[in-house]
Amino acid sequence: MIGIIDYGAGNLQSVKNALQAIKQPFRVITNFAEFNSVDKIILPGVGAAAFAMQQLKKQNLITAIQKTKKPFLGICLGLQLLAEFSEEGQTACLGLIKGNIKRFSEDLKVPQIGWNKVKTINKTPLTDGLNPENYFYFVNSYYLEFSKQYAIATADYIETFTSILKYKNFYATQFHPERSGKIGLQLLSNFCNKCK
Amino acid sequence: MQIIPAIDIINGQCVRLTKGDFNSQTSYSNDPLTLAKNFAKQNIDFLHIVDLDGARFQKSCNQKLILQIAKTINKPVEVGGGIRSLESAEMYLRNGVSRIILGTKAIENKSFLKFLLKKYGPEKIILGLDVKNNQLGINGWQNFNSQKNVFEFAKEIKKMGVKTVVVTDINKDGTLTTPNFKLFQKIQNLGLNVIASGGVSTLNSLQKLKKLNITGAIIGKALYENKLDLSEVVKTFTPKSNLTKRIIPCLDIIEDKVVKGVNFQKMQVIGDAVKIAQKYYQQGADELVFLDIKATKDNKKTIIETVKKIAAKIFIPFTVGGGISSLSRIKKILRAGADKVSLNTAAVLNPQLINRAAKQFGSQAIVIAIDVKKEDQTYQVYIKAGTQKANLEAVSWAKTVAKLGAGEILLTSIDRDGTKKGYDIELLNKISKAVNIPVIASGGAGSKNDIKAALTQGQADAVLAASIFHQKKVTIKSLKNYLFKSNLPIRL
Repeated sequence: MIGIIDYGAGNLQSVKNALQAIKQPFRVITNFAEFNSVDKIILPGVGAAAFAMQQLKKQNLITAIQKTKKPFLGICLGLQLLAEFSEEGQTACLGLIKGNIKRFSEDLKVPQIGWNKVKTINKTPLTDGLNPENYFYFVNSYYLEFSKQYAIATADYIETFTSILKYKNFYATQFHPERSGKIGLQLLSNFCNKCK
Repeated sequence: MQIIPAIDIINGQCVRLTKGDFNSQTSYSNDPLTLAKNFAKQNIDFLHIVDLDGARFQKSCNQKLILQIAKTINKPVEVGGGIRSLESAEMYLRNGVSRIILGTKAIENKSFLKFLLKKYGPEKIILGLDVKNNQLGINGWQNFNSQKNVFEFAKEIKKMGVKTVVVTDINKDGTLTTPNFKLFQKIQNLGLNVIASGGVSTLNSLQKLKKLNITGAIIGKALYENKLDLSEVVKTFTPKSNLTKRIIPCLDIIEDKVVKGVNFQKMQVIGDAVKIAQKYYQQGADELVFLDIKATKDNKKTIIETVKKIAAKIFIPFTVGGGISSLSRIKKILRAGADKVSLNTAAVLNPQLINRAAKQFGSQAIVIAIDVKKEDQTYQVYIKAGTQKANLEAVSWAKTVAKLGAGEILLTSIDRDGTKKGYDIELLNKISKAVNIPVIASGGAGSKNDIKAALTQGQADAVLAASIFHQKKVTIKSLKNYLFKSNLPIRL
């Protein structure tokens, strides 16, 4: 059973639809107690960092996420919230990984919207069966700087940034796998079936 | 940061001076046109041309050659030196020069500067501040008795509406040393865009300028003396990106059926919305757009059901537009599974809706559709499916919606819609340059080549098309292969 965290900011519908398409049972979770009823957790993300952190705090989910040993997948904002600090709303984040979330400079159009090339640099179950380079769908104005320690894939937009990361049981993608066609569904299926 | 190679001209030759001294000139080429063509082969932002004779003799001297360069190369050109009359300013601006750099005349005659700023705007009229010990120089740097402190002057011209200045430290110019970073920073801190000039001779210096957020760097002698390689410089300072151009089939829908009209009229049913959406998804469409073209009360309910069905079957982003005028309606559509909504008439009638919607749902979810007709050489915005003039000029409306928080602009030329005569490239180009959010081209796609033109000449980030896909004139796959072979970034 996959638990999708609802923190009242993001739209969960597309993640739900994607899990349905790959025939994965899921339930929406909103509090700490519900963590026990699921095997894996997805933190979806559309919205702003500061607001999302406030909501997680209100729902008593901060420690729950920080302490969980279950396979965890952060999507988009869900990746950024794992860092220490975000320039978006100048907010402290979950601090699970080292690094800050920065805004893209205006050297190109911001937000980045569209399909960008994701280059895998380390093998993990999440990227099993994927090519070394794949296109995924991005919508973001902020990014996590590239870090050797956590990055399992990068992408280039103005800077080289971390597009997929892994730290212990925490996985996260800056792009939207639920919006990235077949390849995105495959990545989600890998998370559900292969990530332990 | 803009990379701007320089060509200084004396008597038809390309020369460099040291510290502005006319007795120290070195000639590098007697063929500035070929030189310019070679610079333009690189991905430079501007070519900087100085008419040194002009600066010295207080009138344009090498105008013919300069205009020939501006016409020949396909990169923007900026020109300075000896522009002391309206006639010579306009001669440049009307013949392919993108912006002119005023010096002495603007320092001595404020009304001259005011007039040009008003007529051409601060993008086309920039100022050259030539500085020696914080004093402004005039007449080709031969005279520093202007008694003008550069910072005082910079404040004055900022008030008058100047946005961009070329700042040259004369003590550094042509010396191949290091630029006067402090001077640039001080002027930048007054709120002006600074283009740095003088002593820019290493990648290190360029990197430092970029860190300081300097708008552009002019490189002269370092290129001629082979201290810097222009292709390497350009490569270092071109922002990295593998983002692809998007191909977006558009489905005009009534209830759960796809329809198509010409010039926003004469509808015919093409097929089932979910089935057609799935087909385009399978064929490799990057996104889809659905426009509810009826938008009556009953139809609105049906559309939500259609959106839910589509969202369960396709796993690429899609936008829904048509008759959306409230935050609650936006919420319903997004909750049904759409990624974005497109607002048109409601945004014109109530611009604050853009702001509120962007705050509540994020800019990425808010696409502003702008329908445009060309009238008397201006682009006019139309609302209510192209039936009513909004009394808004398209470029300024585009800038407004971007400021209010729109995530993208869906730009439709009503004149071209359904005609298959190609996109309105001029319109696209104008809007793409005016805003820093993605622009989706719409209206007029008749061939693969039209689409390529929108993405290259028109600088669109994405293209939307309906009839050529519906009528199977072009498949998404063959289109993408064609664009990929034309060296455009495309997801195959």
